[in-house]
Amino acid sequence: MTVHEYPARRRRVWWLRNRRYLAFQLREAGGVVCALYGLILLNMLIQLRDGESAYAAFLNLLRTPPMLYLNVVLFALVLWHALTWFMLIGKAQPIQFTREPLPWKVVFGINVLLWIGVSGAVVYLIFGGM
Amino acid sequence: MADSEVVFRVSRYRPESGGRPTFQEYRIPYRSDMVVLDGLNYIKDHLDPTLTFRWSCRMGICGSCGADVNGRPRLTCGTYIRDMRKGAVTVEPLSNFPILKDLVVDFDDFLDKLASVRPYIVRKDWGDLSKEYTQYPEDVDAYRQQSLCINCMLCYAACPVFGASPEFVGPAASALALRYIRDTRDDGAAERLARLNTKTGIWECTFVGECSVVCPKEVDPAAAIQTLKFLATTRHMRRLLMPGSASR
Repeated sequence: MTVHEYPARRRRVWWLRNRRYLAFQLREAGGVVCALYGLILLNMLIQLRDGESAYAAFLNLLRTPPMLYLNVVLFALVLWHALTWFMLIGKAQPIQFTREPLPWKVVFGINVLLWIGVSGAVVYLIFGGM
Repeated sequence: MADSEVVFRVSRYRPESGGRPTFQEYRIPYRSDMVVLDGLNYIKDHLDPTLTFRWSCRMGICGSCGADVNGRPRLTCGTYIRDMRKGAVTVEPLSNFPILKDLVVDFDDFLDKLASVRPYIVRKDWGDLSKEYTQYPEDVDAYRQQSLCINCMLCYAACPVFGASPEFVGPAASALALRYIRDTRDDGAAERLARLNTKTGIWECTFVGECSVVCPKEVDPAAAIQTLKFLATTRHMRRLLMPGSASR
């Protein structure tokens, strides 16, 4: 008698099985979006090199409603990407600074505070003199 | 359905006929202290002796009775029917593994991966075997968490990376590798890290984290893999900058 083994199969929509899988997929999508943001900024530099009118045209394009909506979505995904990675730092903790591992929420809080601090410093450096 | 009954939807796969797995429903008497394994055993003993599944200890130690219960990998001996959502209890074989029959999956591949990380104490020189190899409480604490792994493979069923790339060494084998790397009596860290520091090793992991969520023993394999990534990276850098440095 021939015995057939049924091959292993991953469900096609495995990431809809629970909220954690979906959160992971959004985090990964956020990584792609970070790269997309980089390309937009790179294009901005290219337009700047091409002259004032090219740069102004690019800025006008960014101000159109579809681009604004797109940027809101992209920004939300980048924010999600950053926050979820901050959550994971505390769960992995390969380097232990204290005798007992710190709760992940504490590590998350410290990272968010540092992030806000660094972002504030960058904003001040760019716009502080205005 | 009376309160005294519960419906089990159990995945059936008949290897002799091939085809796709199908669901079969059974109505069984319900008591509030019943676990899913009790339900399966009731079906086997009273309704359908052809139903095939693995189990042994009934107390969450042997790791044999894992299955996808209502879509989540669980030990059926530790899952109370009363904790399931109202309605039918759906029992399927663990995801990401080939199915041999009904709820029994083929885990030969997992055993090969486990063997590849040498899950035992490796020593360069055993020396005097009558001598005691002292372990202090803090030495044991260093690997206690990973040593709790019972090889139930729920973490593999929960890992979408393993589902997509079956060559991935996976969570449990990695956690057990870390258990022995952290053991002060062990000299096998270099060999294990050489196996794990590969494309099909720890770097395949994208930190989904579901392996740690479903682990019934709180082994936290996701954290173990991140620790191994750190160890592998520092070891690689140390060898690059200081050739001939210690292996641990």
